[in-house]
Amino acid sequence: MTDLSGVGSTPLSGVGTARWYRPGTLELPDRPDPGSVDPEAERARFEEARDEARAGIERAREQAADRVGEDEAAVFEAHAQFLDDPQLVGDIEDAIAEETTAEHAVADRFADAIEQFEAMDGRMAERADDLRDVRDRLLRALLDVDIIDLADLPAGTVLLAERLTPSDTAGLDPDAVAAVATVTGGRTSHAAIIARSLAIPAVVGVGEALHDVPEGAAVLVDGEAGRVVVDPTDDQRAGAGGVDAPVVEGRVSTADGREIEVAANVGSRAELDPASARGADGVGLFRTEFLFLDREGPPDEDEQYEAVTAALSAFPDDRVVVRTLDVGGDKSVPYFDTPEETNPFLGQRGIRLSLAAHGNLFETQLRALLRAGAGEDGDGLAVMFPLVSQVEEVEAALARVESVAAGLASEGVDHAVPQMGAMVETPAATDVADALAERLDFLSIGTNDLTQYVMAADRENDAVADCHDPLHPAVLRAIDRTVSAAEGTDAWVGMCGEMAGDPALTELLVGLGLDELSMSAVTVLAVKERVTGTDTAEARELADAALACETREEVRVVLGLE
Amino acid sequence: MERTVEVVPEAGLHARPASKFVQTANTFDAEVTVGRAGDEKLVAGNSMLSVTGLNVEHGESVRIVAEGPDAAAALDALAELLSTPVEDEGGEDG
Repeated sequence: MTDLSGVGSTPLSGVGTARWYRPGTLELPDRPDPGSVDPEAERARFEEARDEARAGIERAREQAADRVGEDEAAVFEAHAQFLDDPQLVGDIEDAIAEETTAEHAVADRFADAIEQFEAMDGRMAERADDLRDVRDRLLRALLDVDIIDLADLPAGTVLLAERLTPSDTAGLDPDAVAAVATVTGGRTSHAAIIARSLAIPAVVGVGEALHDVPEGAAVLVDGEAGRVVVDPTDDQRAGAGGVDAPVVEGRVSTADGREIEVAANVGSRAELDPASARGADGVGLFRTEFLFLDREGPPDEDEQYEAVTAALSAFPDDRVVVRTLDVGGDKSVPYFDTPEETNPFLGQRGIRLSLAAHGNLFETQLRALLRAGAGEDGDGLAVMFPLVSQVEEVEAALARVESVAAGLASEGVDHAVPQMGAMVETPAATDVADALAERLDFLSIGTNDLTQYVMAADRENDAVADCHDPLHPAVLRAIDRTVSAAEGTDAWVGMCGEMAGDPALTELLVGLGLDELSMSAVTVLAVKERVTGTDTAEARELADAALACETREEVRVVLGLE
Repeated sequence: MERTVEVVPEAGLHARPASKFVQTANTFDAEVTVGRAGDEKLVAGNSMLSVTGLNVEHGESVRIVAEGPDAAAALDALAELLSTPVEDEGGEDG
């Protein structure tokens, strides 16, 4: 039994069979002497590899169509066409006829095409990625390297990887993947957040030692303790996974009767039902990025309308807070063709991007939202703008909402203006929170970005992980300023960062005066239980004590975490 | 026979429009070649690699040449495809 430690990023346990995901480790054998190559045999190998690749592409296409939509699936049609491209195939067959092995012929010809595409500007680099994808399918088939298709893993897989990208993670099937463990990564990386929303047990940042876990080993991943155990004992296995968690349905109140809404953060349609099943009081953060990422162009109005309507009907009695498109920073959308930024986290992100050009992107999203607001469960809709730093941005965004509403009215299209709010995730927003609260129905504090910006610490950088902690007094005081600024206005204040889902901090957050806490659905139960055991007056005293601290260490002591 | 048309789809002659172009070219009994308008170079219309490799953006014009029994029908279909803003209409502007 080997026991490794890392950072638990989804507080659940899972046990299964280790499968390594090692993209990009395809090594070609040396080129044999030309005389020893049998062109007929190589040609047959190439044909077989193409058949295998074709089947794999078709499977990927069906899964994408099934899970995300026909638009995303279209990229695989392009892959199939590259695979059967008469020029490429002809050139490869010519090379084979001249006694090149199939794998070298494939590698050489694709290398030329990739180089040619990369020499051009704009979208061509993306096409080069498509070519690489097709090439790798062929080479894996030719070199007999096991294809790990992330979207098609056998049940009971514990996925091990150096790192996973957000789109890798979003493609995982929660029914098949028992757990995930990675060499690198932190708790608030996007991949970790997605794993958490999918309720996949995960431990990240295990370090190089993870590489020693052999393929096929029995592995337990304990996301609560941050442990990865190879060959776990029967007792350890029994404690992991498979246990149906109890659920607290309906709103909960503190011991002295103050109602706190405990909602879920949701990043795809697939997460809606699990969030509801775990007892979430609605959605406090519906990320719309999944509609925009990993595809060739933006979703149209109807597709967005349907996604929002699906969220509203999953929570007919509760509120669904939809965040307008929040890309930029580490989430890029290739078809926007945005110029490269030297400092993307301080660049054209969030509402800044929506308000800037990019065609009718923002209008289309607002039209979809206003139409959804008039639907059957539309009363529960709320909309918020990400990365607000100025009052002017809110005013401009609200003016767009008004003009979209006027447009829909003149077309005779049913619509309703939902509750409107802003995310508070910049120091600037905390300082003008009073002015924001006067203009809006609610504020929602995004603690991941707020911590990053208050502390000037990159949330993806392990080396400054100590700095990136919302328990620093500076961050707590920024939260307190925001809540206080909204007092005396009608605006409610929620929190949708990872901090909201940490049950050890629930009393503090109630004491700080938050009305709503939104988190990964897996932590809803634990937070609800904490809320019911909290006394508001005591919580306020605790919050005051924490706000009076000068260091993170002191805060941790006050909270009983040390 | 040949025809010159402006590429209307937002994605240019890439991605889905390119994919549709190749699929459509393949359904006719005609040899289709395509190039940038005003450019002598023509590439095979049945090759995704070649068509995408032209790197034609939205708003540029292309010259489509077709030879064979179905040449006229192929030109009609391909010209229409490139003149349609979004090939799977549903919403108004996507």
